[in-house]
Amino acid sequence: MSWLKACRGTRIPSHLHNIHRTSLPTSFHCGCPCTRGACKGNQHHLRSKIGLWGSPSSFLYLNSHSSMILGGAHRQYYTQSITETKSKKMLYYLTAVVFGMVGLTYAAVPLYRTFCQATGYGGTVQRKETVEEKIARHSESGTVTEREIVVQFNADVADGMQWKFTPTQREVRVKPGESVLAFYTAENKISAPITGVSTYNVTPMKAGVYFNKIQCFCYEEQRLLPGEQIDVPVFFYIDPEFDTDPRMDGINNLILSYTFFKVSEENTTATNSSVPVQETS
Amino acid sequence: MSTGGAFGGNRGLRPIPPEKGIFPLDHLHECDTEKKEYLGCLKSSANKSEQCRHLSKKYLQCRMAKNLMAKQDMSELGFSGVKELDSTGDTNNE
Repeated sequence: MSWLKACRGTRIPSHLHNIHRTSLPTSFHCGCPCTRGACKGNQHHLRSKIGLWGSPSSFLYLNSHSSMILGGAHRQYYTQSITETKSKKMLYYLTAVVFGMVGLTYAAVPLYRTFCQATGYGGTVQRKETVEEKIARHSESGTVTEREIVVQFNADVADGMQWKFTPTQREVRVKPGESVLAFYTAENKISAPITGVSTYNVTPMKAGVYFNKIQCFCYEEQRLLPGEQIDVPVFFYIDPEFDTDPRMDGINNLILSYTFFKVSEENTTATNSSVPVQETS
Repeated sequence: MSTGGAFGGNRGLRPIPPEKGIFPLDHLHECDTEKKEYLGCLKSSANKSEQCRHLSKKYLQCRMAKNLMAKQDMSELGFSGVKELDSTGDTNNE
């Protein structure tokens, strides 16, 4: 026990006796005049004397304690445990971040939708108050708008859709606050019934907030018989608040654009061939 | 016209259906005369919808009569100030 002799006069020996009974002391002052290198050497001595101290479970305590006592090698074990806990904490934190990001991705869909409806970003048509309520409100207050807006119409068909789809009138000059009727003409050019569905868009995008569609022919499948031509109406209303919005100052042209997509095309040859012509005499 | 913004524009948005729903198609051309009147009026008035509102009201009333539209009070649809010009409207396009 050369190191004991070297550290005579300090609290250390009595602590060593009680080591297996007490918990790890956090502050352990060593008045021992050992240098770092010498302390490491002493540690080996300590290990050889393990039998004297009894159960092997105390070895760990002893070792960690002794390394603290020795002052130099203690840092190895102490920092190792600290790093372990730090790494674990980091692991939990990063896992939580990953799950948080995934959750945010799922939440983004409804969040984005509410954001768009609130701000009308991307041409979304706002829907907080029904059109009838708006009309009632404005007719009561007697708002008169002088500004004339030109609404132009555009019609498109998707690829492979054999309909002829055009606006019946090129444009309409309206005032905000008036409900307007407009027509589109659709014609089925081939010899089979085609079912189509349409969608619409208002440009410029930010004006979409004030464009209220009361009734139209979109978003539902429409079936046209072969060669049938039909005029489909659109009934819309531009909110008078369009006039007062400073963002709409330079906007006097709106374009309402409809696109028809094919849902299905029915095959008429099957029905014709199944019925044979019978002649009776 | 899907030149939407950074978020993918209109692709990512669910379409919002019209307030009162869909107009059933007029396959039997029942309200054709009213429609033609209205379109003729638009052409003659240089596409000003204000002058043709009475005819659009007539068209919608025709639709309601033929069950192609839900029946509703015309003032709710914004036609409260529109006076019917029946006599002049009928003789216009016949």
